[in-house]
Amino acid sequence: MGDKILRILKEIVGDEYASADEAVLYPYSFDLTWAKPRMPDYVVLPNTVEDIQRILRLANRERIPVVPYVSGTNIGGLCIPENGGIIMDLKRMNKIIEINTETGYVVVEPGVTHAQLSAALKKEGFTFSWPVGPPAASVLACAINCGIGHLASKFGINAENISSMEVVLPTGEVAKIGSCAFSDSWHSLWPLPQLAGLFIGWLGTTGIVTKLGVWIYDIPPFIKVETVATDNVEDMARWQRAIRRTYVPLDVTAVSWWLAQVPIPHPYVEKPKDAPEWYCFNVLTAWTEKQMDAYVDLFNKIVKEEQQRGSSVRPYPYPEEALKGRTQLPSRIVGTTKNYCGSGVAGLSWPGTFTPASNWPPLYHEWKTILIKHHFSPAVRLTNFQGAHYGMMRAFVPFDKRKVGDPNLRIKGIDNQENARQALLECVEAGVKYGMIPYKPPVDFWSILNRKADPGFISLLTKVKDMLDPNGIMNPGKLGVR
Amino acid sequence: MARLSELEKLRNVIYTCTHCGNCKYFYNWGEKENLFGRNCPSGNYFYFDSYYGSRARSAAAKGLLEGKLEWSEPLVQALFACTTCAACAQQCEVDFKDWIIRTMETLRREAVKAGVGPIARQKAFGEWTLKEHNPYMEKHVDRLAWLPKDIRQKLPETAEYLYFVGCTSSYRQKNIALATTKLLLKLGVDFTISDDEWCCGSPHLRTGQWDIAQEVARHNAELVDRVGAKKVITTCAGCYRTLLADYQQEPPHGYSDILNVGFNKPVIHTIQLIEELIRKGKIELGEYPKKVTYHDPCHLGRHMAPIQGREACYEAPRNVLKSIPKIEFVEMERSREWAWCCGSGGGVKSGFPEMAIQTAVERIKEAESIGAEVLTSVCPFCWRNLDDAIKMTGSNMKMLDITEILLEIVK
Ligand SMILES: Cc1cc2nc3c(=O)[nH]c(=O)nc-3n(C[C@H](O)[C@H](O)[C@H](O)COP(=O)(O)OP(=O)(O)OC[C@H]3O[C@@H](n4cnc5c(N)ncnc54)[C@H](O)[C@@H]3O)c2cc1C
Repeated sequence: MGDKILRILKEIVGDEYASADEAVLYPYSFDLTWAKPRMPDYVVLPNTVEDIQRILRLANRERIPVVPYVSGTNIGGLCIPENGGIIMDLKRMNKIIEINTETGYVVVEPGVTHAQLSAALKKEGFTFSWPVGPPAASVLACAINCGIGHLASKFGINAENISSMEVVLPTGEVAKIGSCAFSDSWHSLWPLPQLAGLFIGWLGTTGIVTKLGVWIYDIPPFIKVETVATDNVEDMARWQRAIRRTYVPLDVTAVSWWLAQVPIPHPYVEKPKDAPEWYCFNVLTAWTEKQMDAYVDLFNKIVKEEQQRGSSVRPYPYPEEALKGRTQLPSRIVGTTKNYCGSGVAGLSWPGTFTPASNWPPLYHEWKTILIKHHFSPAVRLTNFQGAHYGMMRAFVPFDKRKVGDPNLRIKGIDNQENARQALLECVEAGVKYGMIPYKPPVDFWSILNRKADPGFISLLTKVKDMLDPNGIMNPGKLGVR
Repeated sequence: MARLSELEKLRNVIYTCTHCGNCKYFYNWGEKENLFGRNCPSGNYFYFDSYYGSRARSAAAKGLLEGKLEWSEPLVQALFACTTCAACAQQCEVDFKDWIIRTMETLRREAVKAGVGPIARQKAFGEWTLKEHNPYMEKHVDRLAWLPKDIRQKLPETAEYLYFVGCTSSYRQKNIALATTKLLLKLGVDFTISDDEWCCGSPHLRTGQWDIAQEVARHNAELVDRVGAKKVITTCAGCYRTLLADYQQEPPHGYSDILNVGFNKPVIHTIQLIEELIRKGKIELGEYPKKVTYHDPCHLGRHMAPIQGREACYEAPRNVLKSIPKIEFVEMERSREWAWCCGSGGGVKSGFPEMAIQTAVERIKEAESIGAEVLTSVCPFCWRNLDDAIKMTGSNMKMLDITEILLEIVK
């Protein structure tokens, strides 16, 4: 059986692009998170849409799971095969197909990285919403899984910037979605029925997205990062709501003292008494100096108004390396996990993130208690999305992946990985009470989420999944229900 | 020898690799432009994650340490198909960074200990080195065959510098050995050459054949004393790294823990001496009206800049080229710490010749794309592979060591 599948895979992609060797499979069996390592049976590197169609037809015929993969940096164990099968590594498909600066979109293949696209766009004076994540990760995989970038406060999450797509269905058919279904222009998903929704937020369980159009934005000539601090999360959340009214900053992100350190202190250390607990950077951009001056005035006015209301908010310098890591994006500092894992020893996970802004303060207090109990720093981030109708709240948890009993373990005498898992599950339990929905969730989170979910939602979800993927071959298990 | 004893020593640094994958491409943020490019020769050639960057090798190390991976032919292939060019280390920002090359070479050491490595042709050059002190299957007595008698007679018994020629220049890139010798003579440098030089041990350190490296290192350390030279000069980036870092420095940058030869003589690259002489106004150069670019050898650049500084390792060759009248010096996009490897290091030229040449072809195309007529470098091993690629692609570009250009124009 194994040999037959491998032979066909090799026929499809060429001998050198499919393997079932343990040594080749092994790096695909784990990621940064606590997700239990599991081996795939094959890895295959397609180069064309036709290759993908043929692989999916084979997988359907033989009922073999297929896990789409580009860099595996999703921090959710999403590319670790629950039941073996084929890792479909898409990194060879790495063409930027179109940069349309007139209409303002690009079309990319799955293997295009943030680093690659950022270099190409900057030459044209354009940008996209870069995550504070690995530059080597996929633009497409990030966007279709509701990833978020540095423009999210103004332009929404990356999924909201998708303008068209091409997909291969689990059964092998190809479909174009959005304007590209009708012309060569990849400018818009609207005003059509939102079929793109069948592939956004599904964690690779409904098909392979082979091309993606996303909106791009001009880089304004004037950029200023104004930073403030507060003594408590209540004042910070209020600041973020106050500044949102202006719709001016591209990015309004607050981080707790622990997340502003590079690296995050691990195990937990107390914050110095005189240091503010929260820092916020507000990225102002303008097309003229005058416009920038007006924005700075506006910013200062809001600071004053907040102070008059009794807020502890005040202009405050942000730690330099941390600021670079959050504004010079995509960033090697954060992307290579220096800030997160320098102290963690190989493991990184997070709970979060989409949470109503009104509930950030109470949830932060609960998370702080949980995280400190488990010896973690409460390294929490709050970001406005689209103003702040909703926003991100997430805690970064670096942890030690070495085995129990290792004399060098960061937290002595306990299973550090299991400790991290427990802490995060408790954070998710706490979060769902406050309307938090984790993004790119590990399987473990689904068990908590799906308990709370509307039965109608689960039923519709499974119906859609079964319709698209009748044999359940696409990344099985990752939705918690299928 | 205990199983994985060498790898065990690195366990804690290996576990600082988070598997984030940023080692897989070059990337750097810039005010005006962001740099992006391919950086990993083996990943670029084999594509699977098991071949990509330091993340692949740290994964293999963790797999072996945790008993989840067994030695196998594909594992050995993946471990040895790395030029150890350190481009992944350049990208890495976590504590693993400085230890990446040592980890890769330690993995190979473990493969050798387990009897599954190195690759057959690497093993053959190791065995040959024990007999004839070079990895080129040549006779030791022929080591100085490139050196004309009249020049040999001029060289003193003892001198300030011992010119450590290296095996590649002695047996293959004799043009570089000769150019260096003639140039040093022309410049009045007090140097000599020994017919008892042995391979520096670089190919053996890179391929896990550490016991062979120990033997040659011991010999060479004694040789420098025997010759009575105060310093060593070399035109080979590989020998430079080995004599200066591996013989003399503690890990992670050197192998003094393994070689233990107590060698502590200054070692300089010829290009560094020449730059100094130019700076002091001691060399007059004629014109060289050609469009020239420079390829950074990994062993001079990424491997040594963290210890010797950027000036010595990246700028010295550039300063020399830029000081030549009428030269049009052009820079490839991937240069200095972001240079694409020539493809021959780490035992790859002998173990994976096809990958080596394809890697060099990519560099040739990059140099051609900026209109270079002449591709220069300061490493005979890079010279060999890049020139092979020039010939293979039918490129009109000419490969020259900087010493070859200088010999033509020094007045
Ligand atoms: C330190 C760190 C910080 C991070 N910060 C951020 C951040 O600020 N914002 C953010 O959004 N993310 C962040 N991430 C997460 C991650 O980097 C992004 O989500 C990334 O863009 C995913 O790309 P990838 O190539 O790693 O995708 P993968 O992990 O390979 O894939 C992600 C998911 O997409 C599926 N998939 C992949 N390709 C396809 C396809 N063609 N069709 C269908 N499904 C597919 C996979 O099966 C998987 O479920 C961070 C990660 C790290 C390590």
